[in-house]
Amino acid sequence: MHRLTCATALALLTAGSAQAADLTLVEVITSPERTETLESLVSAWEEETGNSVEIVSLPWGQAFEKFATMVAGGDIPDLVEMPDRWLGLYGQQLMDLSPYVDEWDHADTLTQASLDMGSATADGLLKQIPYGFYLRAMFYNKDLLEEAGVDGPPETMQEFRDAAAAVSELDGKSGYCLRGGPGGLNAWMMMAAAMRGDSAFFDENGQSTINTPEAVEGLQFLIDLYQDGLAPRDSVSWGFNEIVAGFYSGTCAFLDQDPDALIAVSERMDADSFAVAPMPKGPGGKAFPTIGYAGWSAFDTTEHPEETWSLIAHLSSPDSNEIWAKRVGVIPIHEGADQNEYYQSEQFEGWFTELNDSAYEPITMPTYLEQFGYFADSIALETSQQALLGEITAQEMADQWGEFLTEQYADWQETQ
Amino acid sequence: MTDLYELESVPGMPRTRFGRAYLRYAVEPWLYLSPAMLLICLVMLVPLAIGISYSVQSINLLNPFATGFVGLENFEALGDDPRFWVAMVNTFWWTFGSVSLQFLLGLGLALLLSQPFYGKRLVQALVFLPWAVPTFLIALTWSWLLNPVIGPLPHWWAAIGLLDEPYNILSNPDTAMWGPILANVWYGVPFFAITLLAALQSIPGELYEAAEIDGASRWQSFTKITLPFLGPMIAITVMLRAIWIANFADLIYVMTGGGPANSTQILSSYIFTTAFRRLDFGYASAIAVALLAVLMVYAAILLFVRSKLVKF
Repeated sequence: MHRLTCATALALLTAGSAQAADLTLVEVITSPERTETLESLVSAWEEETGNSVEIVSLPWGQAFEKFATMVAGGDIPDLVEMPDRWLGLYGQQLMDLSPYVDEWDHADTLTQASLDMGSATADGLLKQIPYGFYLRAMFYNKDLLEEAGVDGPPETMQEFRDAAAAVSELDGKSGYCLRGGPGGLNAWMMMAAAMRGDSAFFDENGQSTINTPEAVEGLQFLIDLYQDGLAPRDSVSWGFNEIVAGFYSGTCAFLDQDPDALIAVSERMDADSFAVAPMPKGPGGKAFPTIGYAGWSAFDTTEHPEETWSLIAHLSSPDSNEIWAKRVGVIPIHEGADQNEYYQSEQFEGWFTELNDSAYEPITMPTYLEQFGYFADSIALETSQQALLGEITAQEMADQWGEFLTEQYADWQETQ
Repeated sequence: MTDLYELESVPGMPRTRFGRAYLRYAVEPWLYLSPAMLLICLVMLVPLAIGISYSVQSINLLNPFATGFVGLENFEALGDDPRFWVAMVNTFWWTFGSVSLQFLLGLGLALLLSQPFYGKRLVQALVFLPWAVPTFLIALTWSWLLNPVIGPLPHWWAAIGLLDEPYNILSNPDTAMWGPILANVWYGVPFFAITLLAALQSIPGELYEAAEIDGASRWQSFTKITLPFLGPMIAITVMLRAIWIANFADLIYVMTGGGPANSTQILSSYIFTTAFRRLDFGYASAIAVALLAVLMVYAAILLFVRSKLVKF
């Protein structure tokens, strides 16, 4: 009898909070600071609404396979932190957010770029609210440049090569922190686009532009940097940690990176000894820094669409986004961010120049291609290392890339 | 008729073919065996069969609806896949380099440890320590040791003239394989030392005494007594370790990720890349079946050699 009373009381209690939803949020680019920031933002929302959220944190190195296995196995979360390169893959399974955004208070200040990039899916619907942008710009070591007799950061690719050569003359120093290992694709694409003076990855016939003569010249530019000794010998296998360490230890003077590298670099270098410039321009007077992003997406299988949207809206509000953008090192998504005092320093100048000057045209990688992740992480990685080591020529590499990308693009066009 | 006669002569064999007693005689032993057989089926054969069946299907996580039987298409693709052949050759060098160095050093260590000396127990315990270290930790430690910015090894090698300048051997395709092999040797020597030491201790001491009386030199008693007695054990440990190492991608995956330019990609790391980067489980299973076939041929050869070595 006693047990029965207890059970009834329990049932009544749960019935009282029947409105509350239990959401699952998967975080895929995990670091202790990020998780902490995310938890504090989420718990503010939990308190406000009375719902609860379980945060699942996947380390980035294994996130792709773990998350793919989770979703394939039917263990589908309500919300996910979705990097741009997965949008093509999961696009069909995500909830269209545009009806919610239309009624959202903060929709007006959301930049057009944020909306465009959140809609970079096969069907063109808004499937994600980005939380910030990873824009490539050139970090440079002021002390090393001064020592090598170079005044000011390079404006063009020729000046960049000359400056790198001058620094490499110094004992034990190199010009460029080349990323030959995982994640190196961006630099190749930027150089190819700068030499071509155009950002389109595919021409009107659906052919990849990467193996046009001008683009190959851009690829050759990086290969020459490495083979002429203007980048460290080990850099053929360098990934993110190695290039950033190479830069702050003063081993190499130039580093093309996103704002998130600023966190590691500014912890270990004086603010006076480095700055960030826009990417060097090609012969056509234009540069094409890559822009990447990640954001919040909801799966359409969620049982609580309203609550899920409410959490996305909370995370994307100007206040939350400002906190988040500063902690994780991204360019914020709401207008007027460059007026913020925090972004007025010399270190941020490069990024905001790229955003505001028409000579710089940020390009997004063709992440909508289904096999783009495989292309970037396996094919491009392997062939670019072969090219750097002189096993294949720039043209052979470009032809392999072109063939794969053209094929993928045709597949993608079929689904349109 | 002879058959029948022989059958009837078996004691306890019932005369009627379809009698209850016959059934009991034929079925009962299988009943007792069934738990073990069921377990073997469930834990080993069923997953193996499923894995092999994947290799004749198209299973791609990206196209869940295009799943279906494709016959030997995956295996035909293997023939034209240059990465597969590079990985095959690398698997050979990785396994051969690791096993032979582990074996030679392990044998030396076992011979040293079989001699009586002061503090032997402590030394034995210390020698076996690497075997207990998690492989991911080993891989990270060795990749830092080989990194010229932090680690001492490149500077030492440059100082004794092995390298022309202190650079990371992992970033040179000609030397990259040595990094994981070095880590693997450090990790695997204790295994050989343990097993060979156990085999050494089971060789009867009288044999050595008799050899000594007959005036055999140390080298003679090593080649005529120690090696023949160790032979079967060596064959079986070398076989086990080789199969193990050929399948062992942890060190390579953490230290080089198969790079630079595929120079350290072995079959098992290629299987992982195909399954979890390309999300093509059908093709990955085909590579796995190819690896299985190669290892089975290898094991058959070694078992044959072993049967020749066992003389008593």
